Formats: sequence, structure tokens, C-alpha cells
Amino acid sequence: MSVCYKLFVYFKEHKYYGKQKLSGKGEWMMEKATVVVIGGGATGVGILRDLAMRGVDVLLVEKCDLVNGASSRYHGLLHSGGRYAVKDQEAARECIIENQILRKIGKSCVEATGGMFVRLDIDDPDYEPQWVKGCADSGIKAEPITLEQAFRLEPLLSKHVVSAYLVPDAAIDGFRMSWQNVESAKRYGGRFKTYREVVDVLQQNGEIQGVTVRNTITGEIEEIACDILVNAAGGWAGKVAALAGLEVGVQPDKGTLLAFNQRITSHVVNRLHKSSDGDIFVPHGSITILGTSSMSIPDPEDTSTSREEVENLLSIGEKTFENLRDYRMLRAFAGSRPLYMPPGGASGRGASRGFAIVDHGKDDGLKGMMTIVGGKFTTYRLMAEKISNQICEKLNVKEPCRTAEEPLVPEVAENDKKEARKYFPAYGTDLAATRLGPERFSRVVEDLKSHPEKRELVCECENVTLAEVEEIAKELSSFQINDIRRRTRIGMGTCQANFCALRSAAVFAKCGRDKGAKDSLGQMKQFLQGRWKGIRPVLVGRTLREIEMTRALYELSFHVDGGKKA
Amino acid sequence: MSETMNALQKKAEAMLTADHCLSCTSCMSSCPVMEASKEYRGPKLVGPAHNRMRFSQEDVEESLDFCSNCKSCDRACPSGVEVSTLNMLHRAEYYRTHPHSQRDDMLAHGERMAKRVRMLPFGATFANLGMKIGKCFGIFGSMGIAGERDMPAYASSSFLSMFKGISQKPSEKKVVFYPGCFINENDPEVGVAFVKVMQKNGYEVLVDEKFNCCGSPLVVTGYLDEALEHAHNNVARILEWKKKGIPVVACCTSCSLMLKKEYGELFDEEEMKEAATNVYDAFEFLAMLEEEGKLNTEFKSLSQSLLYHVPCHLKSQGFGTPAARILGKIPGVKVELADAGCCGMSGNYGFKQDKYEISMKIGEELFGRIKTANADKVISDCGTCRLQIQHGGHVEPCHPIEILEKAY
Ligand SMILES: Cc1cc2nc3c(=O)[nH]c(=O)nc-3n(C[C@H](O)[C@H](O)[C@H](O)COP(=O)(O)OP(=O)(O)OC[C@H]3O[C@@H](n4cnc5c(N)ncnc54)[C@H](O)[C@@H]3O)c2cc1C
Ligand code: SF4
Ligand code: SF4
Repeated sequence: MSVCYKLFVYFKEHKYYGKQKLSGKGEWMMEKATVVVIGGGATGVGILRDLAMRGVDVLLVEKCDLVNGASSRYHGLLHSGGRYAVKDQEAARECIIENQILRKIGKSCVEATGGMFVRLDIDDPDYEPQWVKGCADSGIKAEPITLEQAFRLEPLLSKHVVSAYLVPDAAIDGFRMSWQNVESAKRYGGRFKTYREVVDVLQQNGEIQGVTVRNTITGEIEEIACDILVNAAGGWAGKVAALAGLEVGVQPDKGTLLAFNQRITSHVVNRLHKSSDGDIFVPHGSITILGTSSMSIPDPEDTSTSREEVENLLSIGEKTFENLRDYRMLRAFAGSRPLYMPPGGASGRGASRGFAIVDHGKDDGLKGMMTIVGGKFTTYRLMAEKISNQICEKLNVKEPCRTAEEPLVPEVAENDKKEARKYFPAYGTDLAATRLGPERFSRVVEDLKSHPEKRELVCECENVTLAEVEEIAKELSSFQINDIRRRTRIGMGTCQANFCALRSAAVFAKCGRDKGAKDSLGQMKQFLQGRWKGIRPVLVGRTLREIEMTRALYELSFHVDGGKKA
Repeated sequence: MSETMNALQKKAEAMLTADHCLSCTSCMSSCPVMEASKEYRGPKLVGPAHNRMRFSQEDVEESLDFCSNCKSCDRACPSGVEVSTLNMLHRAEYYRTHPHSQRDDMLAHGERMAKRVRMLPFGATFANLGMKIGKCFGIFGSMGIAGERDMPAYASSSFLSMFKGISQKPSEKKVVFYPGCFINENDPEVGVAFVKVMQKNGYEVLVDEKFNCCGSPLVVTGYLDEALEHAHNNVARILEWKKKGIPVVACCTSCSLMLKKEYGELFDEEEMKEAATNVYDAFEFLAMLEEEGKLNTEFKSLSQSLLYHVPCHLKSQGFGTPAARILGKIPGVKVELADAGCCGMSGNYGFKQDKYEISMKIGEELFGRIKTANADKVISDCGTCRLQIQHGGHVEPCHPIEILEKAY
């Protein structure tokens, strides 16, 4: 009996017909996939790709846009494993192996900056030999360098540095990485739906039947049938499990990060001491991110940040870079680590950063449901491979995992980039190529070529052309300007949307497919509010001046709030 | 970006100020080149905005070539971003990997050329003749130099050699005069007038033959390493004089700006900032005397209406327009500010063939002002502004110090 038919019967019995349509043959049509994955974070998209590549019919649902959770609200460090070399060598080994794999398969989302560990005169000297040994034991190459070399590579480093090592850390862009996983999955028939929140788990006789999802934009409800349901909801995994009446111990652990307006470092710079708050700088494209902190919170939705957290980060960060406060802060943001709590475990930084796979069929008697939680962004692929192996075993699929060999997306050919250079703003070609991938890139280039006016910049700070913004605005997955932002970086630079909010609202109204795109004022306000949220905790000095200008422009000149009603 | 450049740039003061940009765009609306040409993408984009994107690939912003270093952007910036200096640093970086044209080499190295000319008997006469012939045969044109313009002629003798012939009343109060290339080679009368004015105010004027070109023409053509050599030499000289308690005074506003401000912005060395405190523009110095009640104001009546074009590089020094005030005290003299923005010349910028049109377009407002004002004399502190006024305004301008000298 097909699942579809089983559900038909189930729904008929329960007088519950939802939004399913009648097919030509008079059967109830319902969206169906063999595997449904809940959560569009690194873990979820990794599973989507892995299964799709093995020929499994898989669908991912995400309640917001992709990487709504920790997978973009994070530090973006592709760990070499150096950070875990003393405390958790298993994690360290996993990191270095995955680090090498992701550098190879993710050339368009990994920036091979290299990393540096620096010990300051205030740091415990005894930790250094332990760390050196830990790296050696975990297979991480930690190359000692002279202070002169260190200052040449990182001219702004504090003169209190007493020793320095190079490690193969790198920066990884969460936005690009997730979209590229999805692109790759799509080539193998994998499907995804964003702005769909799982609100109910359908089960019968101890077996998974499917899920009920709510369209978080329109409020519409629909059902999706499946044989296997994967809970990859990160910090929300406990809540999703609860929908199925299960208990999974996930402690959301909030970390706050600080983004600076420019690259202060060229390498990832780590303090060589026992892991602690605020001791890593990651250069990320045009910006630098300092972080992070660790705080248990009840709700993973809580992404608030405070002035105190910012001050705390600054006062630690300025130990490594003394003049840190001279640099302009762009914003503060926070995400929740999904720390897995095996019954009775420790919380916070002491909790395991390893990952866990729970087969609820075995543990709780709910066949077809699995939860994967914990881990790190760096190890997302490995996590996906492990759970996909178990899923394939259940489905009797014999295809091996190939995610470690095949690049996520084909790269834009060097020659095509060279050719296209004349249509892009200076310093804009390569970044656009890594954001867009070959197909979209060639469409954008065509557009720039035939419509010179589209070479104008929508975002002057991050160098994004009108043609690129239009290309992404047109996609079916663009429901808000924020969705375009995550894929193009509009609004993420110096002026934090001061100039591009207005422009992008206009572009979206013209090109957006969703009818919500036409509400320019609403879209623009929502976009600006999102920026404002991250700016609020860093409202000092130049950031304050910046936001005052934004306020003057939108509230006074454009009068977006319409003033007092008579 | 190369490692050394990375280090160098992080050291330059201007690089840090790039981070202060609020992206407000006020520099863009003040840039005269942007107004005259659509080809230039403008200070904000080419300066601070691109600066943060340079990590992404080896690339060049072609339109950077359009920046004239007039510094209108720096003055417009509410956040103290040294936009024009950023541009000059980026230009220099470009020339680290790209060859210079023969034209740029010539425009940048006026001092070297002048030295050669002065070594020959009647060198100046022949050089001037040579430039006329060069112009007739379109040789300059083929090098990329605007054929419409006359190259500034060499004076029959340089200021430094004329200076030797001036007998001064010795005094306890001394200043060192920094003539700069243009006054020394092309317009020595300005220097002579300065010496006379200072004598009238009880000062003895010294010169220091060890000074060399301030480096402004080198900076704008991207010869930054050479400019740094000049800076080191000049800064050492200035500090030497500072130790003796003798200030250094210049009549050319681009020279004084370079010595006072641009060295520090470009190279960020402590000594440069210290030296800057001992350098004055001529009228800045006179204004200080005036404030202390020590300016000699026993002026003759002159009966002259003056139209004053304030050079961009004087505005950038931020001491107002004391020349207008001081000259205004001369009985019979009426000074009116031209208030017509940049003249468009910007040092050697207007001599470049491909920039000639832009240069003239920027100057239009000033040329119009000159025509309608119908003043007896147009005055301006900057030598190349005066060349532009002569060329586009069809009048014979002079330095304000020359008017002051006449009033004593
Ligand atoms: C501050 C911070 C810094 C970090 N830095 C690093 C680092 O530098 N390097 C590193 O390797 N790791 C880092 N990590 C860890 C890493 O970010 C996470 O381990 C990883 O991103 C988790 O991915 P995930 O997919 O499991 O969870 P998430 O990315 O949180 O994804 C879960 C997704 O599920 C969705 N969802 C939730 N409920 C539902 C529902 N009912 N229906 C549909 N969708 C739902 C959410 O919207 C979310 O998008 C950091 C974490 C934090 C918090
Ligand atoms: S220096 Fe002058 S020409 Fe150059 S960007 Fe600034 S205003 Fe424009
Ligand atoms: S005026 Fe200053 S702050 Fe404004 S855009 Fe220009 S450089 Fe930036």
C-alpha cells in the first residue's frame, strides 16, 4: 500500500482534507517525498545533497529562508581543529579532515585565508606545548613562525604577542555554502521549500506518515507525506521532536559576534590559550568577525544582543589587536549552537560539541523518524554522510556517499571571468562569480553587456550590480529583500542598507515573483528593521552617526512612517 | 594584494581614515571632476568603498586616473576621510606593476629637467625655444600633453640665483623661504616679492639649497617611492630649522600642503607630523603677525579692484583666506572672492591631453567670473591656478604677495 494511499485513508477517516487536490483519476494528490528533512541549516542542506546524490527522493523544508539559524549566525570559521587540539582530539581530527575536503569541494564558498594562533604575554605559557602536541597528535600542521613574520603577515597585531603559529584555518561563507548545497542537490532531483514551518508530525501505528507544514508568509497549511522524517532543526530540534511527542535534549547556547567594517586581519587569528570568549577574529570577505561568547538560553529564537556583550567582546578582542576600538563596528549578531545534551550532561562550553544521531524507531518506537543534532558547521558534511548512510540502509539504497569528491558547484571558468571583467565594477567580478555560479553568472554578464545601465550599483558598499540583484530578485525563492541580501550581500557593507534599501525595494517590486514584492514600502521597512536590529547594540561613535543619517534620510526626507495622523 | 603593500597600506594614516567613511556621498557631490565627466566613478567609490573590496582580486579601477588630487572631497567629508590621499596611494600601487608613460615621467620630474636646463649656458632660452618648437611640431601632443597649452616658460634666472643678488637688512627674526619648483624656475618674482615683504616686517629671509621638490608632482603621477625620498630629505631639513627656532614659509600652496599635511597622510611617520608644525603658508604666517599686532600696515594707496581665486590646496589647509583680509586693508584696494570652485588645473593634471577638456570644463565657472567681475587684477596663491587663469581667463594674474609688496 502506497504511503499516499495510506494517508488518503487516514485523512478520510479523520475527516481531514486540508489543501490536497483531486487528481484527474479522482485520487487525492498530495506532495510526497521518500525523505523529508526539517531545517535548512548546514546539517539539513548537507543531508539534502547527500541523499539526492544517491538517488533518494528527498525534500527539505525550512521555516524561513535557508540558514535562518546557527548556520549564518555564526563565526564562519572553517576550523583546522587547532581550537580543539587540547580538549577534544576527536573533534580536532574530524575538523582537519573535513577542512581539507571542504577546501576541495567548496572553492566558491571557502576562502583559504590560513590561520594564526598567537600567544600573548598574559596567556599561560604551559598551554603552548600541550597545544603543539595536541595538534601533532591530531594531524594538524602547526608551523611555528617568528614574531617578525607574524607582524609582517598581520601588521596590526598587538606587540604583546610572544609566539605565533600558522595553521590551515579558513573562512567559510554560510550563505553561499548552503545555497550551493541546494543547487547541487537540485541537479540530482533534490527539492526544497523555504518559508514552510513544520507544525505537526503525522504518525500512525508507530510509523511516520508525513508532516503538516504552514506557509509562514501566507499562513496556508499543507501536508507532505514521507517514509522517513529527519529532524535537522538545530537549536529547535527539541521543539520539533516534541511535535512527535518525543524528547530530545538540545540546549540552545547563544553566541554573540561582532562584525567590523573592514578586514582587520588577513588570516583567521586565534588566541593560543584555553578556549574562551572573544578570542577569534575571522576575516570574511570585506569584513572581520570577532567572537564569540557562550550563554545557555531557553529559546533558540532569541538572537538578541546587548551592549554589555559587545563591550565584553571588545575588551577581550583588544588584547589581540590593541587598536581595535579605532575600527568601525558594523553590527552585532547572535546565533544558538545546538548543543546536544545526553541525559544528565553538562551545559555551555563544557557540553559536547560532537554530534549525535538518534534513531527514534529504535529508541522511542517511532519508525521512520530520526534526529541529528550538535556538531559544527565545519563537520556538517560528515554529519550528513553518517545519517545518510543510516537512511540508505533503511531504504536499501546501495549508492555510496560521494559528497567528499564532487565539488558543490562548478566554478566559473577563469577565462569567462576575465572576459566579463569589463562589464563589472572593479573588484567585483570574482565575488559575483562565486556568488552566482556559472549559469547565473553568464546570464548576468549577458545582461550587463546588452544593458550598460544595469552596471550601476544597487549596493555601493558591497559592489553589487543592478543586473545581479535583478537575477536573484526574480528567483522563486525570493520572498523578501532579506532573501536577496543573503545571496548578493546587498546591505551588508559600510552603510548597512542606507542607500540600497530604497533601490532594492524598487528592483524587487519590478522583478519579484511573489506578490508580496509589490509592497515596496513594507519590504523596505522590514529590510531596514533587520539592519537596525544588529546595529542597535553597537550604537557608538561612527556607527551612531551612520544610523542617524539613515534615520534622517528615511524618516525625515522620505517620511516613510507617514507622520502623525491628523 | 601583495603582502608588502598590505603592510604599507595598513600603516598609512589615510587607510585608517577610509574606515571612517559613512558612505554619505557628500564627497561625490563636491568632486569637480565627477561633475565634468561621467567617466569618473567618484571619490567615495574609488576611495573608501573600493578600498574595502580590494581583498577580492587583483584588479584596477581605471577611472582612478581621473582624480586630480584637488582635495575637494577631503574638504567635503564630514568624517575626516582622506579620500584623495587614498586615491594617490592606490594610484601608486597601480604603478608598482604598470609602466609609467613618458609623459608622466616628464610631468613628474620637472625638477630634474630644470636642473639639466640650468646647467647649460642660456639653457632656459633654449629650453623655452625647444618647448615652442616641440609644441609647433606636435611633439608634446604625441606624448599626451595638451597641445592647446604652453608649457610654463623657464625664467631667465632662477629664484635661488636671483636671491643671491638681493641685499637684505640682517635681523634677529628669520624665516626660511621654501620656493618650490614653480617659483624657483618659472615665477621667481613671487619669491622676490616675498623677501621684500618680509624685510618690511623686520624679518630676514634665508634659503636652504638642500631642499628639493616637495614631491607633489611625483605623488599625483604615482611615483610614491621617490616622493618618500623627497619627504625624508625635506622633513629632515625642516626639523633642522625647527631646532634653530626658524620657521619655514612657502608661497606655493601645493608645496605648503604637501609639507604640512600630505606627507603625514601618505606615509604616517612621526617626524613628518612634527615637521608640519614648523611650516607655514606665506599669508598664514602674515596673519599670525597681524594677530599679534606685528604686521606692518603702513600701506600706500593702490586703487585696485582684485578678484581672488582661492586655490583648492589653500582651502585644504584650513586657515581661511587671510590674503583677502590683509590685502583689503590696503587703502584703495577692493578684494572680491571669485568663489568659483576649482580652476580645473590641479598641478600637472590640466597638462594631460586626455584631461584637458575636463580641466577646461571645470574652469568654466571661474573663467565666467573673471569675465563678468572685470577686476583690475586676478590674484591666486597657486602657480598652476595662475597658469589656468591665464589660459582660460585670458588675463595676467599674480600672487597676492606681489600686490602686498607693491603696497609697501
Ligand atoms: C555564535 C556561533 C558561532 C559558531 N561558529 C562556528 C564556526 O566558526 N565554525 C563552525 O564550524 N561552527 C560554528 N558554530 C556552530 C555551527 O554554526 C552550528 O553547529 C551549525 O551551523 C548548526 O547547523 P544546523 O543545520 O544543525 O542548525 P541551524 O543552522 O540552526 O539550522 C536549523 C534550521 O532549522 C530551521 N527550523 C527550526 N524549526 C523548524 C521547523 N519547525 N520547521 C522548519 N524548519 C525549522 C531553522 O529555521 C534553521 O534554519 C557556531 C555556532 C554559533 C552559535
Ligand atoms: S581629489 Fe578632487 S578630483 Fe580627486 S576625487 Fe577628490 S574631489 Fe574628485
Ligand atoms: S564624504 Fe566622507 S563619509 Fe561621505 S561618502 Fe565621502 S568619504 Fe565617505
